[in-house]
Amino acid sequence: MDMKRDYYEDVQLVTSPVVLFWLAVLMVTLLLFPFVVSNYYVYVANYIAINIIVAVGLNLLVGYTGQISLGHAGFFAIGAYGTVILMTGAGLPFLLALPCAALVAAGFGFLLGLPALRLEGPYLAIATLGFGLTITQVIGRMELFGGREGLHAPDLFIGPWAVDTDRQFYFLLIGITVLLLLGMRSLIKTRVGRAFIAIRDADIAAQTMGVNIVFYKTLAFAVSAFYAGIGGGLYAFVLRFIEPEIFTLMMSIMFLAMVVVGGLGSLVGPVVGAGLLCWLDLKLRNILNIPLLGDWLETLSKSWFSITGVSNIQYIVFGSIMVAIMLFEPLGLYGVWLRTKRYWRTWPF
Amino acid sequence: MIDFLQMVVSGVAVGSSYALMGLAMVIIYKTSEVPNFAQGEMALATSFITMMLLTAFSYPVWLAFCLALVFAAFLGAFLEFAVLRRAKNPNILGTIVITIGLEMILLGLVSWKFGAEQKTMPFPIGPYDSFIIGDLFIAKLEVLTLVSALVLMCLLFFFFRFTRLGLAMKATQQNAVAAKIVGVRTNRIMMVTWAISSVVGATAGLLISPVIMHPFMMWDPMLKGFAAAVMGGMTSLPGAVAAAYLLGIIENLFGGYVSIEFKSVVAFAIIVLVLCFKPSGLFARHYVKKV
Amino acid sequence: MKKSLMVLIGCMVFLLMSVSLAWSEEGVTDTEIHIGQWGPQTGPAAAWGSVARGTGDYFKWINSTGGINGRKLMYHMFDDGYNPAKTLAGVKELQEGTGIFAWASGVGTSPGLAVKDYLMERKIPWVGPAAGSLHWVSPPQKYLFGVYPLYYNEARALVGYAVEEMGKKRVAVAYLNDEYGKNGLRGAIEELKRHGMETVAQVPVEKSDSDMKPHVMKLRKSEADMVLLWTTVSHAVRIVGTAKAMNFAPQFMSTSTCSDFPLMTHISKGLWEGVICATFGELPDSDHPLMQQYKKNVFDQFAAKEERWGMFYAAGIIFIEPMIEALKNAGPDLTREKFVAEMEKISGFKGIGPEVNFKPFDPDDMYSRQGTRQTFLVQCLEGGKAKRLTDWITLD
Repeated sequence: MDMKRDYYEDVQLVTSPVVLFWLAVLMVTLLLFPFVVSNYYVYVANYIAINIIVAVGLNLLVGYTGQISLGHAGFFAIGAYGTVILMTGAGLPFLLALPCAALVAAGFGFLLGLPALRLEGPYLAIATLGFGLTITQVIGRMELFGGREGLHAPDLFIGPWAVDTDRQFYFLLIGITVLLLLGMRSLIKTRVGRAFIAIRDADIAAQTMGVNIVFYKTLAFAVSAFYAGIGGGLYAFVLRFIEPEIFTLMMSIMFLAMVVVGGLGSLVGPVVGAGLLCWLDLKLRNILNIPLLGDWLETLSKSWFSITGVSNIQYIVFGSIMVAIMLFEPLGLYGVWLRTKRYWRTWPF
Repeated sequence: MIDFLQMVVSGVAVGSSYALMGLAMVIIYKTSEVPNFAQGEMALATSFITMMLLTAFSYPVWLAFCLALVFAAFLGAFLEFAVLRRAKNPNILGTIVITIGLEMILLGLVSWKFGAEQKTMPFPIGPYDSFIIGDLFIAKLEVLTLVSALVLMCLLFFFFRFTRLGLAMKATQQNAVAAKIVGVRTNRIMMVTWAISSVVGATAGLLISPVIMHPFMMWDPMLKGFAAAVMGGMTSLPGAVAAAYLLGIIENLFGGYVSIEFKSVVAFAIIVLVLCFKPSGLFARHYVKKV
Repeated sequence: MKKSLMVLIGCMVFLLMSVSLAWSEEGVTDTEIHIGQWGPQTGPAAAWGSVARGTGDYFKWINSTGGINGRKLMYHMFDDGYNPAKTLAGVKELQEGTGIFAWASGVGTSPGLAVKDYLMERKIPWVGPAAGSLHWVSPPQKYLFGVYPLYYNEARALVGYAVEEMGKKRVAVAYLNDEYGKNGLRGAIEELKRHGMETVAQVPVEKSDSDMKPHVMKLRKSEADMVLLWTTVSHAVRIVGTAKAMNFAPQFMSTSTCSDFPLMTHISKGLWEGVICATFGELPDSDHPLMQQYKKNVFDQFAAKEERWGMFYAAGIIFIEPMIEALKNAGPDLTREKFVAEMEKISGFKGIGPEVNFKPFDPDDMYSRQGTRQTFLVQCLEGGKAKRLTDWITLD
């Protein structure tokens, strides 16, 4: 059993030689990955990594602290625009501009957390939604941010090295992602994380036990906004071009879906959720090219539906996944994994 | 002065469609604490089906509209029966995600079936025919929406207050287990709730579609309606309607006097402000959760 | 343990799915030429999806008549939902997986801007982006050929006509609050300045706005006698309708995106009558012989059942005609450099669009890569018919 005998064991990252082995294999795979596959898949991996960062941050807020946010695209946008502007306007190097922009996003997260102290459920959802929409509007309005015409990301240099291919960016991205994941894990395993979980489960009881709700709730918002800001800053360089129209409500909904589908309240959940949903998002472009299903869909479209609208099946797929996961396994894909593990633990009895 | 009055009148006009969506959302929330994000798309599906009946099959208008409302009722009941009921004790986040998922499914189905081009809904009243009173004008369609919103609100209010079914619904909301013990068939109540809500939403959809009709047409009214319902208090029907009109008027006044660009933004900002002071909305009672 | 296992499995899945085809010759074989296009087949911009489909059916017809110099055109279209991240992903996948010779058209300024640097760095030709933005040609790029008349120029043509031919004195502009709308606004302001005038009102429209009354009220207050509409189709229709209801009847003018008169009449229930539009090509229901030919050969034979013969579909042909011309002229020995050279030689080419002229690449001359600077004005008549008001106007 996974019994922990003291606090140090609980917090430890590498709990046994088996874990160490698999971690090493993982590291090696991640490092070798861009050299084995084509450039396009490296781009996909970059895109997924960014979404993983945001999803993990959002998971802290939604999974561990029990709040809701439909406005994370706003923090994402702040991170993206902040990084680009700090680099072009203030001339900061990338590795400095990125955390600064994310801190700005965290500041806004803190501001959003203040009304969240009193709101819950649909009220909180609407407040965050409004925030997300407001940010896009304000950014679009101000000429400082390039207005509606968008901004081009400048060339990226880390010290003396230029980072301009997907492969180089991949290594930068992997480094940042791993760092952030470790940070999140530490946060969860320590006192702060336990406070979050206490707030999620019974906030009034937590308060009576001495958990400072005001501090921790706003902290949760701020940290998740920080992660989203980092993700946004990196996104600006993967895409090389940002404009306000990209950061839509649909994007916020997708972030939320990634967390929920992957599994709330676990560290693996958002990683898997982000991976799956981003992968589907990019792959469902050409519905008709799927080997067997494609032809059947084509005939179905021609007779009952419209062939011109056939790409809309991707909405149906996403919606179905969201509904199916929530109906059959509320703990998300991670819950499915847990169940499988539990089942096979006592096999063959 | 005339401008001010015109803006108020326009605000009232646009507030009516928000009010209908808000009503629909409050009905469901009142009974089951589910914020139904799929509301807009349920109305969308109904409107598109109506359009198909009117154009492809050439049904007379009154028949098509009646069938549309019946379809809406069945759609609502079906969604509740097939989807919501199967969820095992979902928390608020779970229901939000389920309803968003349903919304995407419906959106995908409608877009797939009908294609993405702008369509038009044959409607007896043209979308721009108006009454002109002095210098003020209000479109006939908007008057119809206003009247429908108010009539539906009154009907629903009396329904909840004075009929047995309405009483049963309130009982289900307050304590589902106790209601079951007393003999209320909660499952059936839930289906009826969704059916009614879908019909109200469909009315909004049908009244919006003569003006504009494409698969994404319901997003804006739904969000504003939801926001209005939240501002008015998710458990108060008159509250949702009043807040919707307030929202419409504030939006238009702001758009007219200050800045058209930030019109929508200000609407949400106002709502957040209101919620800061009254966390459960303007007109609802704030229930304090016990440990 | 759990986390690492999951991520490990994820990585293995990636590796398994990574099948990278290596093409020695990019996009051209003895029997095939690979052309790609993106289009918003889903999402709020999906009405423009017919551009990509129009190109596809056009290629099908070309293939059915023997192809180009013995090669068939292999068309790769994907849906990007007007999301630049997806556009970039799709372009990368097709470019690195299948190998695309050149890219055709492609709707949207921001999707296009997301891929522009990627394509230009790799010297991949791109012809006819379906957006009249200045971004494509200022500064001009060697491998990017613009065929859509610039929004800026269209606005100038419309305003010029209004002021000179129609004697309008008070011009207002309602513009979509993005790059497209702002380009139109700029053109209008420029042209008015040349006549010593200014706009009397500039009203921004948000894409998500559904109620146009505040906008029309502002326009009415300014007492404009000509209103230039640079918005989406649905906004334009609503503005015209609301104005008619408010008894505000200036001369409305709009851009080529709103010039599909049968569609506009259908949506506005006839209220579009009298509006003057600029165009980016012959009208689909005109009796221009080439247009009729396209309708018969391309649309009637290959279009999907629910496709509509309209402006957007025809646009898929208009923006690609120069490309086909250059591919034909390049002969059987097809390379990208030859293709670019043939494109540059195009002079006085006239298909169903405006006259197309390219020149050898000159980084200081945007018209070396902006092929069209002509438009003509039409007025909507009852029933969606069009009356040609001017001949092709050439702008400088």
